[in-house]
Amino acid sequence: MKTLDIAFKDLLRSLRNYFFLGFGIGVPVLMSVIFYFAFGGLASEGGFDIPQVDVSVVNLDEPVAEYGGSSVGQMIGQILEENESIFKVTHAESAAGARTAVDNQEADVAVIIPAGFTVAAFDLEGQAEIEVYQDPTLTLGPSIVRGIISQIVDGFAGAGIAVRVVNDQLDEQGIELDADSRWRVYADYGDWARALGENERFNSLLAIQSPAGGKDEDVNSALALVGGVMTGMMVFYAFYTGAASAMGILQEKEGGTLPRLFTTPTPMSAILGGKLIAVFALVVVQVAVLMAFSSLIFRTDWGAPGSLSLAIVGLVVLAASFGIFIMSWLKDTRQAGVVIGGVMTVLGMVGISSVFTANVPGAAGGFAETLPLFVPQGWAMHTWRLVMDGGNVGDVLLPFAVMIALTIGFFTVGVLRFRKRFA
Amino acid sequence: MRIIDLAVKDLKQLVRSWMTVVFLVIMPIGFTLFFGLIFGGTGGEEDPRLPVGLIDRDGGSVLSVYLIDLLDASDAIRPVVSDESVERVEKKVGDEDLAAAVIVPAGYSEQVLAGKDVALTIIVDSATAAGSTAQSGVQTAVTRLRGAVKAAQLSAEAFEATGGSPDDAFLADALGKAIAAWHEPPLTVAATQSGIAAEAEDEEGPVVANAYAQASPGMMVQFSIAGIIGAAQIVVLERKSRSLQRLLTTAISRVEIVVGHYLTMFVMIFLQLALLVGFGQLALGLDYLREPVATLLLAVTMSLWTASLGLLIGTLAKTEEQAIIFSMIPMFILSGMGGAWMPLEVTGKAFQTAGHLLPTAWAMDGIQNILVRGLGLESALLPAGIMTAYGIVLFALAAWRFKFE
Repeated sequence: MKTLDIAFKDLLRSLRNYFFLGFGIGVPVLMSVIFYFAFGGLASEGGFDIPQVDVSVVNLDEPVAEYGGSSVGQMIGQILEENESIFKVTHAESAAGARTAVDNQEADVAVIIPAGFTVAAFDLEGQAEIEVYQDPTLTLGPSIVRGIISQIVDGFAGAGIAVRVVNDQLDEQGIELDADSRWRVYADYGDWARALGENERFNSLLAIQSPAGGKDEDVNSALALVGGVMTGMMVFYAFYTGAASAMGILQEKEGGTLPRLFTTPTPMSAILGGKLIAVFALVVVQVAVLMAFSSLIFRTDWGAPGSLSLAIVGLVVLAASFGIFIMSWLKDTRQAGVVIGGVMTVLGMVGISSVFTANVPGAAGGFAETLPLFVPQGWAMHTWRLVMDGGNVGDVLLPFAVMIALTIGFFTVGVLRFRKRFA
Repeated sequence: MRIIDLAVKDLKQLVRSWMTVVFLVIMPIGFTLFFGLIFGGTGGEEDPRLPVGLIDRDGGSVLSVYLIDLLDASDAIRPVVSDESVERVEKKVGDEDLAAAVIVPAGYSEQVLAGKDVALTIIVDSATAAGSTAQSGVQTAVTRLRGAVKAAQLSAEAFEATGGSPDDAFLADALGKAIAAWHEPPLTVAATQSGIAAEAEDEEGPVVANAYAQASPGMMVQFSIAGIIGAAQIVVLERKSRSLQRLLTTAISRVEIVVGHYLTMFVMIFLQLALLVGFGQLALGLDYLREPVATLLLAVTMSLWTASLGLLIGTLAKTEEQAIIFSMIPMFILSGMGGAWMPLEVTGKAFQTAGHLLPTAWAMDGIQNILVRGLGLESALLPAGIMTAYGIVLFALAAWRFKFE
């Protein structure tokens, strides 16, 4: 009973503490809200709110009477202008002017269409290159511009290749490709390419299938991302809370209340037991509050109840026991401050690094992918990710077992060291 | 002189603390390396393109071979031919070991060459950035493959129109020519970059040339704010222990005390930034010193506004714990919204606009103007001006609210 009294008293004290309210609840909520707004929380339909890309187009290509007065360069400019929700197109007089606009950050991307582009598109020997000059700090906008222009250019290049192939093949047979036949090839290929483009985004070429456990395209991307961020924050700050709460033992020792408590008839095991229970209870409160917040505000899908229960239990016991373990090695609150501020931050960031790489193509491969598993936070994060990706109990059993093994190790060492210190 | 004495005392006190070393030096360097590593800063990978699994159920048919060839020609993706089951490859996509997986169905080549529409199956999580990039890369390769088939068919039709009868060899020859032509298409799109990346002629596609170019200034911005914790705590401690009141009984004036503490924070942050600039220059290959005056100006103005924030925190916080919380919360907000963690470009428009209301976004812009865009001193003037304005406003607030008891 005394153990529970001590635990309850410690828990109440922690719940009234600025530090817990600030770091245990406030900061993780704040971080998730920041990410939510960063990645489309303000978008009307919950998807990514991609800002307009400022494109400076310089079209040096001219209409060619021989080819029906058309200009491929003009057509590219028009297509970019028609997509006004994505691009804000301005026109520059020269290639240098367009590049300067990018250099001065007046445009994100310059599209430089060279003179004679149309001729090159229809000439058997033609060769031309459109330059997409970009601000080097940007990635997303320029890649969209490149993607759209490449698609158009590939259409013309494909037609050009078709004509060249036909010409070569007939030439090998000793037949000359006349102008009418050449135009027919262009026209046939153009019809085919147009039909392909209109056929519901190339569905006739690719049947797209989501991986089991993967996210469907119609899942709200921003909310899915924030769910991951919230999980990362929960893991990160649960370990903070475990350590900060366990630091209470050092604080009471320094404040003299712990030695005084030892002079009472309450056995030491009851006192230490109560304090340890308070550490676990506080992490439980934190995880519960953060999950409730995320469910209500971000409508986070936490996965299957069975595997989720294992993830919660694993996180709570591991974060609390790691806090006890860390604090058992420290002499005073001064050292503890450094460890909480420095060591726990470093370990936490390493453990949840997948949160930062979630939206970056090609990031976090190789060693960076394995590194988080060298810290306890990494195992907790790994387990939660499996659960949120739709993993069942069987999928999370291994990481859960690792978390429990780590918990037993940390808890045993921590408690033994505290007992030895206060014996 | 008294101001300097006070600042030197504060600095000595800070240097003796482990926390200062951790927050000012170890953590920013550690995080810069870590973020550089996870965003691909090692530069040691043999092939940085996204891996796309390929299960060939068409038994090495002519179109499967050409598809692999075209996929391999992509700048963004690389094919990884797999003998594994669809379930295993699907799991790899789910686990993000592969960006996507393509399944070539049995009879694909024969049917497509016969003019039938047969789709390849692509397993991809389009909601992820890697997935959508891979999907786009596969789409381009497949479109080119089918375009080559179309070219071969048109070739056969043209031959037929002249009275010839194209056989399989004719078709295969035409197809081979079309595929070969796609390796050097007549019309291309070249991606070029301004600034340092262009000078380095690094062709990492849509990624900045040096991944540390985001991480290094980002961590500089973030940890300059974290670095003020200790100094803010000194102000709180002096107030709590009544040292400030005692100081007032000496010849030192109130203004000198406030300025002395401010100077401590300014010097500490400036030294931290100098150290991190040196680390970036020497260890990370970031050319901060290509525009030394601009870098110096940015470091000074960053120190100015951050020190003002530190003084304000020291003024408002009543306890040491509050000093930590009052520092860390703005650190997270200012760093996150200012683009220190990820480029603001990948965030929404409203977020970008809100971010540029903060000095951290301007600090990032200023540093990247020098470091990545390769611009000169003039590009640092606006960011420096905005940071100075922030410094003045925050200092005025701190001086106004500064309490000695």
